[in-house]
Amino acid sequence: MAKTFHLEIIATDRIFFQGECEHLVIRAIDGLIGIMAGHEPLVTSLPTGEMKYMVDGEWHYAAISGGFIQVMPDSAVILADSCELPEEIDIKRAEEAKERAAEMLRQKQSIKEYYQTQAALNRAINRLKISQKHFK
Amino acid sequence: MPNMREIRERIASIQQILKITNAMYLMSSSKLKKARKALDSTEPYFYKLQETINSVLEHTPHTRQTYFDRRDDIPVEKRKKGYIVITADKGLCGSYNHNVLKFTEQELEKAPDLSNCYLFVLGQVGRQYFTKRINNSQKAFVDGEFLYTTQNPTVYRAMEIAQLVLGKFEKKELDEVYLIYTDMVNSSVQENKMVQLLPFSRRHFGKSADGTMKKLPKASFIPSPEEVMADLIPNYAKGIIYGAMVESFCCEQQSRMTAMDAATTSAKDMIKELSLLYNRARQAAITQEITEVVSGAGSLEE
Repeated sequence: MAKTFHLEIIATDRIFFQGECEHLVIRAIDGLIGIMAGHEPLVTSLPTGEMKYMVDGEWHYAAISGGFIQVMPDSAVILADSCELPEEIDIKRAEEAKERAAEMLRQKQSIKEYYQTQAALNRAINRLKISQKHFK
Repeated sequence: MPNMREIRERIASIQQILKITNAMYLMSSSKLKKARKALDSTEPYFYKLQETINSVLEHTPHTRQTYFDRRDDIPVEKRKKGYIVITADKGLCGSYNHNVLKFTEQELEKAPDLSNCYLFVLGQVGRQYFTKRINNSQKAFVDGEFLYTTQNPTVYRAMEIAQLVLGKFEKKELDEVYLIYTDMVNSSVQENKMVQLLPFSRRHFGKSADGTMKKLPKASFIPSPEEVMADLIPNYAKGIIYGAMVESFCCEQQSRMTAMDAATTSAKDMIKELSLLYNRARQAAITQEITEVVSGAGSLEE
């Protein structure tokens, strides 16, 4: 059994995961990072994306949207806006959100609105991607 | 002896009010249940966020990030202060609104120049209150376009608010930003709180309980402290605002429930008293009629 570290993933609406973890792979602003026990102290922010973590030799996947991570040698804390397992994702809702955002992008918008819809579109696409990839 | 019809009308009107307060009680209790659930699921995030930010800041090397800029060159009386105040959309919730407004007012009094105070009020009640105050002696500026409801708080609403104030801070339209909300200590105790959102000061953080600076190894920031902070602080602000919104909404429902419960009870008491009075009046009227009939009959015999 590999060495483990304590991982806490907390979303705004619930505690997503709390427990020992062997390996964590997550997308940070400038690329994927892998974290194992004994990692150097690190802070970085996380864009909308995919993450996976290994518990008892098994990979778990999740969709994460916006947040940051703090890594200590023996623990890691992820604070995210939302975090979902592939099977929890409401495909219909995500598809609707994608349609809506895509439609909004075709309209004339202010720069602020443009960024907001783009972020919404990203979130929807990310959800769809992860649910298609890991939940059949 | 009061008029019977008058009493009857009063009872009817109290019954009408009783119906309203009772309905509001039921509504707020079911809303409270929902708000409580939201609060319970958000609280871990809210506290963990503060805790993590504290420890992140302990490891942060000195940065020249905009959000840390205290702008010490601006004298105290010229500093533009922004206050995000969370009130309710409706009244009829006991002293909830009153407490927030009074607390805000006290904070505003501390400010050296009211015309440099900008209020961002969530909720109809507070907005109206402060807009009216402008016409009087006070001159705190209320952002008229800041129209957000406090019902069912969402992360996205919090994000919009956070973006708005951070944008204003960057453009130097604001030099300090505070957040005023109601914290739920437990179901019967509520407390008004004010937190400073911006500029991000490390004086609040970075010290352990015994007051000594902790010597901690610097954490590495990927790609750079500035970039991480530029992303992390809006995130933090959003989280704090969202948490405060959830707390306040829960408090609002709690106080409305208590207030409406008290109103219903006192309405019931009043109805009890009035129906006693009404019965007395009715009996007195009957007795009087009988006396009149009897005495009328008596006078006929004579």
